[in-house]
Amino acid sequence: MTEALATTGFSREAVIALSRRKGEPEWMLQKRLQAWEIYEQTPAPLGRRGDLGTLQRLARFHFQELYPYLPADGNGALPAPIEEGLRDALVGASERSGLVLQRNSSVVRVELSEELRSRGVILTDLDTAVREHGDLVQRYFMTQAVPLATDKYTALHAAFWSGGIFLYIPSGVEIEEPILAQIWLDAPAAAAFAHTLIIADELSSARYVEEYASAFEGEQPSLLSAVVEVFTKNGARIEYTSLQDLGRNVWSVMHKNSIHEADSSVSWVMADLGSRLTFSNIGSNLIGNGSATELVGVFFSDQDQRFVIKSLSNHVGLSTNAETLVHGALADESRVEFDGMIRVQPGAQQTASFLSEHNLLLSKHCRAEAIPGLEIGANEVSASHGATTGQVDEEQLFYLMARGLPRDEAERIIVQGFFEPVLQRITLDSLRTRLRRNIVRRMRGGHESEADWIEAQERWEIEGVDEGAVSFDRPSEEEEIRLLPE
Amino acid sequence: MASELVIKNLHASIEGKPILRGVDLVVRQGEVHALMGPNGSGKSTLANVIMGNPKYEVTDGEIWFKGENILEYSPDRRARMGLFLAFQYPMAIPGVSVANFLRRALEAVREGPRPVGEENPSGRPAPRKTIPPSEFRNLLREKMKLLKVDNSFINRSINDGFSGGEKKRAEILQMALLEPEIAMMDETDSGLDIDALKIVSDSVNALRGPKLGLLVITHYQRILNYIVPDFVHVMFDGRIVRSGGKELALELEEKGYEWLRPEGSEVAVND
Repeated sequence: MTEALATTGFSREAVIALSRRKGEPEWMLQKRLQAWEIYEQTPAPLGRRGDLGTLQRLARFHFQELYPYLPADGNGALPAPIEEGLRDALVGASERSGLVLQRNSSVVRVELSEELRSRGVILTDLDTAVREHGDLVQRYFMTQAVPLATDKYTALHAAFWSGGIFLYIPSGVEIEEPILAQIWLDAPAAAAFAHTLIIADELSSARYVEEYASAFEGEQPSLLSAVVEVFTKNGARIEYTSLQDLGRNVWSVMHKNSIHEADSSVSWVMADLGSRLTFSNIGSNLIGNGSATELVGVFFSDQDQRFVIKSLSNHVGLSTNAETLVHGALADESRVEFDGMIRVQPGAQQTASFLSEHNLLLSKHCRAEAIPGLEIGANEVSASHGATTGQVDEEQLFYLMARGLPRDEAERIIVQGFFEPVLQRITLDSLRTRLRRNIVRRMRGGHESEADWIEAQERWEIEGVDEGAVSFDRPSEEEEIRLLPE
Repeated sequence: MASELVIKNLHASIEGKPILRGVDLVVRQGEVHALMGPNGSGKSTLANVIMGNPKYEVTDGEIWFKGENILEYSPDRRARMGLFLAFQYPMAIPGVSVANFLRRALEAVREGPRPVGEENPSGRPAPRKTIPPSEFRNLLREKMKLLKVDNSFINRSINDGFSGGEKKRAEILQMALLEPEIAMMDETDSGLDIDALKIVSDSVNALRGPKLGLLVITHYQRILNYIVPDFVHVMFDGRIVRSGGKELALELEEKGYEWLRPEGSEVAVND
């Protein structure tokens, strides 16, 4: 049986072998088998006719050339790149209250401050959670937030998940210092499944920072399949931040979703920089009255990168709020599809929902497609959505050049300015800085003085300025829909 | 020797439509020229073409500055040589703070006409000479005081959410900071109330002197009561049809522009 795990390709035998190897309870094995069946029966999502074809390309990916399970030794020393990546993490050792490190198919480090442990916070790998908190996992794992049958890829994830992170925050516990998770892929032809399950009990709060990174050479691709499920009970608050900076030999599929009880909130921050192809789904289900969510997204694509980003604000309860704000720049031959949906269910009165997505095209060969969608089933709603795709404005360029700035620098400054309103919404300073540097580095014709510019910007910011820099007043074809009771 | 901006027989068009039809003009450091004329006569186009706006195509003629034909030079190179344009409609650039932008602009202009890295075939540009932030701040504060610009201004995005008057004052602030040799003010007076006009004019007058040549573009004679020109030119249909002393402006105020319309000229459309 274990042979099925040691060879490439996904199969029912491999599912059984994986579950046996982990010594899982029968319910988890059954769940995996159910998922495998769905995987086999479900066609891959192919997108719409006439779109940029990224999902079709993903569907043609050679899944059967991947090793479904690549365990890593938890006790040994970490390979140098991972060690280094951990040292340069968005949240340093002295700033975090917890750490989880997944390498390929295994969680190799879990740390949690003694203080949080004593207050009942649980942070563990998902295998341990299955053993020790089986009732919670059984209830929440791929049942409501990201049901295993969401699409073919979630079914594959449910059948082959390995490693995984479980975080439970008891009622009333507020975690100030972020918990850091790093997910590493350091082998070719590997399929890594990263699962994050966060349950925030009533009136609790936490900041969770997830980094996806890879460290291996060569053309042979690996796959990262990530599912993040967040449950916020009454009044709970979660701030989830992720940075996807995978190598260009990694394909990734991500599904992230939150289930809200009353007056709870989730703030999603998503930065997509790396990978060859990423299919990213982010959703919030605002079920409880008065619940709220925001999604702040940044991406930068170049070369032949492809991203598909789908967001969903699903308004179910009364008086729920959602705001989605995504800015991205495309260079070279890269392609990005953004599909942002606001769905207001019947009865979801007093909904306020806002979505705005802006793409900046930096080359003649890149392509962006933005489709904001709005489905309104209630009549007392304030919702607006808009999307723009444009190039760097020639008049803006001329204005800066007329002040002595060379064209490449002027362009870079405009691009930085384009991202600034979104960057200002990111509370994690280190991520903001990382993104600024990445943007500057990836703009053509960089000068040594770039660092100087960034430092200047950071310096002004530290001195408490730049608030006026936040502006959403960009020219757009924004569509305003406002329905009020008659 | 005083720097000279020499325009010879300049023809320019936008999207194939000719706007300038043979402009001749000389502006020297130390002189103040007013360029007047009805809407659509080509005044703004002239300023934009001199600054190198790629939107316009120069179809004939020459632009000489400091002894060089600058027609092929990029706008930034022209700025580094000491040309300045106070825009009629300054662009808003969201997300870029005025302070950062102006510091970069000042560094660039101080570096002079050679664009960074031009004489460096390896493509590795020399490190930029930076202006220490404290020095820059002091300089900026001084100029801001002169223009009675609010302190919060430096932290805002360039022209983003500025009122019409604020934008115009910001343009003159930039002019004061960058110390050009020849500056063009494109309808800086439009959209200014009388108090703002006075502040702007006072600051411009404070900059007047042997080192600054000015081309003040305006519809109205009003600003010329404050910034008194040495020369007045009237533009009509893409040509300068009349030049004279400051009294010409007063004559125009009295008689309007129509009496200067060249024979055969069409009624102008907005440019």
